Amino acid sequence: MAHPQAIEVLVRRVARQVGVRRAEHWGLRGAFWGALLAAAVLAFKAVLGLAALVLAPALVLLGALAGAAYGLASRVAPRDAARLADRAFGLADRVATALEWADHPDRTPLVDALVADTVARVLALEPRQIVRRVIPLEGRWLPAPLLAGLVLALAPAIHLPTGTILDFTPSAEQEQHEDRASTEMTAERSRPLPRDPLKRPSFEERDFAQRTGTGSGSTAGDLSAIFKDTALSNQRPDFNSFLKKGDERLRLLEQVDRLPDLQSDFTTTQYKMVFRKSKSLMSGLSPDISPQKLRELLDEMERLGRKGGNWSSDASEGMDALEGGQTDRALEAMQRALDKMRAMEEAGRSGKSLRGGRENERGARGRERARGGEGVGPEDQDFGEGEGLLPGKGRSTMPKGDPTARVRGNPYDVGVEGESRRGRKDGYDTNLTGRAGSMPSRLMYLGVVGQYRKMMEDAITREQVPRDYHDQIRNYFQALDER
Amino acid sequence: MSQDARVETFVTAFEALRAEVEKVIVGHREIITHVLTSMFAGGHVLLEGVPGLGKTLLIKTLAEGLELSFSRVQFTPDLMPADIIGTNIIVEDGDGRKHFQFQQGPIFAHILLSDEINRATPKTQSALLEGMQEGAVTVGGVSRPLPAPFFVLATQNPIEMEGTYPLPEAQLDRFLFKLRVRYPAIDELNAIIDRTTRSQQVTVSRVMSGPTVLSFRELIREVPIASHVRDFASTIVMATHPSWASSPEVTRRFVRYGASPRGAQALVLGGKVRALAEGRYNVSVEDIKALATPALRHRVILNFEGEAEGVDADTLVGQVVEAAEAITASGKEVFLR
Repeated sequence: MAHPQAIEVLVRRVARQVGVRRAEHWGLRGAFWGALLAAAVLAFKAVLGLAALVLAPALVLLGALAGAAYGLASRVAPRDAARLADRAFGLADRVATALEWADHPDRTPLVDALVADTVARVLALEPRQIVRRVIPLEGRWLPAPLLAGLVLALAPAIHLPTGTILDFTPSAEQEQHEDRASTEMTAERSRPLPRDPLKRPSFEERDFAQRTGTGSGSTAGDLSAIFKDTALSNQRPDFNSFLKKGDERLRLLEQVDRLPDLQSDFTTTQYKMVFRKSKSLMSGLSPDISPQKLRELLDEMERLGRKGGNWSSDASEGMDALEGGQTDRALEAMQRALDKMRAMEEAGRSGKSLRGGRENERGARGRERARGGEGVGPEDQDFGEGEGLLPGKGRSTMPKGDPTARVRGNPYDVGVEGESRRGRKDGYDTNLTGRAGSMPSRLMYLGVVGQYRKMMEDAITREQVPRDYHDQIRNYFQALDER
Repeated sequence: MSQDARVETFVTAFEALRAEVEKVIVGHREIITHVLTSMFAGGHVLLEGVPGLGKTLLIKTLAEGLELSFSRVQFTPDLMPADIIGTNIIVEDGDGRKHFQFQQGPIFAHILLSDEINRATPKTQSALLEGMQEGAVTVGGVSRPLPAPFFVLATQNPIEMEGTYPLPEAQLDRFLFKLRVRYPAIDELNAIIDRTTRSQQVTVSRVMSGPTVLSFRELIREVPIASHVRDFASTIVMATHPSWASSPEVTRRFVRYGASPRGAQALVLGGKVRALAEGRYNVSVEDIKALATPALRHRVILNFEGEAEGVDADTLVGQVVEAAEAITASGKEVFLR
C-alpha cells in the first residue's frame, strides 16, 4: 500500500491555509471593535489626558491580535480540509475518501489502488493558496472607526459639560409666592359652599380672574377668558381652581348610589351564564356527564337562588340526587331550576321595557306578584316539562308525555286544513287540525330538546339510523345548541 | 490480477459494449450509459418514451452484445402470470405414465424485455415482482432460481394511456432507473435514416459474457465511498419526504410520498459504476448528482397539487438535489464553520 503521508501533508497544508485565513478574518473583526473602543476612548481625551493617545492604538492592536489568535486557535477538521482540497484541485473527492478509508477496518483491495492513485495525483500538484480570503463586514467598515479615532486624536479635546445638582432649596422669592398662594387657598376655603353641592357653577359664577398669570384684563362672563384660560404660557399652577373642581368631584364620589355600576356586566345575566354552563355541560351528546361539573353548576345555581330566586330548592334537590348517585334526577332538577331562572329573567327583562305591550303588562303583574299582591295570571307562570296552556282554557292538566311516542303512535294526529285566499296575491290560510290543533302550542324549548337529543342518541346507538346520516343528525342538534 | 488491471478491464469492457450498442442506436448516449450502469449495478431499467424512438431496438442490441440469453414478452391485457413465469403441464413418459413437468416461461432468461409493460393487468405485472427482487420465482410452491445475471428491461408508452394499467409504486420501486427516451436531434435523425435505409446491415459483436458481468458486479461493490458522499445521497432521499423536518418547500408542497431506501441504494450503486466506468476508485458527489434524476424520478409520488400544477418530477428532483447540497453545507466556506 502506498503510504498516505503525501495526503496527510496536503491536508495539513490546507488546514494551515484555513487557519491563516481564519486569523485574517477574525483579526479584522477584532480590529474593528478595537477601533470603535479606541474612538470612544479618544472622545474622552480631555478626561484621560495623554493616556488616551496610548490606550487607543493599543486597543486596536489588542482587538486585532485577539481576533487573529481566536482564528488560529479554532481547529480545522482534517475531513473538511480534505474536502476543500478535493474541490480546489478537482480531485473528485479522492483525498477525502482516501483519508477516510486508508485505515478503515472494512477496506477492500480497491482502497489500496485508490490511495495509490490519490498519492500520485497529490504529488503531482503544484502547491498554491487554495483558500480564498473572505473579508468580513467589519473589515469593510474598519476605516471608519480608524478615521474617526485619528480625527479625535488630532482635534482638541472635547470638554464635556460639567453637571451640577440643581439647588432645590426654596429662595426668598419662592417663599413669597408660596405665602401668597397659601393665603389665597385659605381665602378660597373660607368661602361659603353653594346650596346644592351637585350644582355646577355657571360660567358667570366662575372667577377666571383669580388664576394668576392669565389675562388680567378679562372680566367675569367674558367667553374669551375661557380660551385665554387654556393658554399655558406664562402660567403658574392654579391650585385654587383645582381644589374648587376637586371639591365637586369629591362630593360626587360620596354619593355612591348615583354613580354608575361599572363592575356589572349588563350584557351577561345570571341566567345566561348558568345556561351557557349547563349547555357546555350537556353538549357533546355524551352520556357520561361529569358529576363534578354537575355538582359545581348546581352549587352555583343554589347560591344564585339564595340571593333572590325561587329555584334554590330545585338546585338543592338536584344536589341531593347527585349525592345519591341519581344523575337523571339531578339533571331534571337542574332543568326545573333553569326554567325558573329563565322565567325570572324574562320577567326582569319585561320590567326594563325591553318588550312592549303585553310583555310590559306581564312585567307589571310580575312585579306586583313579587310585592305580594294578586294578579298572577296563567301566562305569568312558567311551565314545567310536559305542561302548557290550552288556548283560552288556562293551564293544561294533560301531560303531553313522550313527544316522539305520540307521533309514532298516531301518525294522523296532526293535519293541516286551509282554503285559498283571493286578493292581490293568492295564498292559503291554514290551520292545524286534529289533536295537535287542540294541544298547547307552547313548549319549553329546553324541556323538549333534551328529550329529543337523548332519543336521537338512542336511535343512533340502536343503529336505527343509517350510518351516513349520523354526522348530519348530530350537526343538526349541535346547531340547535348553538342557537 | 492487480486492482488497476481489474478496473482497466472494466473500463475497456464498458466502453466496448457501449460502442457496440452505438453501432445501432444513434444518439441517446446518456440513455445507453445509464442502461449499462444499471446492468452492472444489478438493477433493472424502465424505459419510457413514445413509439418509434428505438427503445426496443436498444435493448435487443444490448442483448446481442452480451453472450446472454434473451427473451421478449409483449405485454397485453390478456397476458397471464403463467405466461411469464411458466406453468406445470402434464407430460407422458415412454412408459405411458403421466406426470407434471414445469414448463419455464420467458422470465427464465438473462435479459428479459418487457415491452409495453403497462398494457398488462396489475396481476400479470406483479408476476415480475419476485423475480426482479429475489432473482427467483415460485411456481406450485417450488422456488425456482432465475439465471444470473438477471436483467429486466421494460418499456412503456407515456401516451395512449387508454386501456393501460399504470405500474404500482411497489413495482416502480424495483426498477433501479427510469429513463426517458426523448426525440432525436435533426443530425441524429439523419444518421438514423442513413443507417436504417441502406442495404448493409450492422452486425453487433458479443463483447461480454455472463460470468464477466457477475465479476464486474463484485468489483463494483468494492468501490469505497466517503461518508460525506454517502450522507449527501441520504440527504437527497430524505429531502424527497415532505414529513422530514429539513425538506425543502417544493417537497412539502408537491410531494405525497418520497423515495424509499432503494432510492439511496440506487444512488450509491449507480455512483460506484459511474466512478469505475470513468476509471475512478471512489464515488464522488458529482456521481450522486448525475444519477439523482434517473434514480428518483419514479420514486417521488406527487400529491394532488403537484399533479394539478403539472410539476415535472425531473425538475422537482433537481431542486431537491440543490436543497440537499445546501443542507449538507458542502458549498460553504470551510473556515466559516
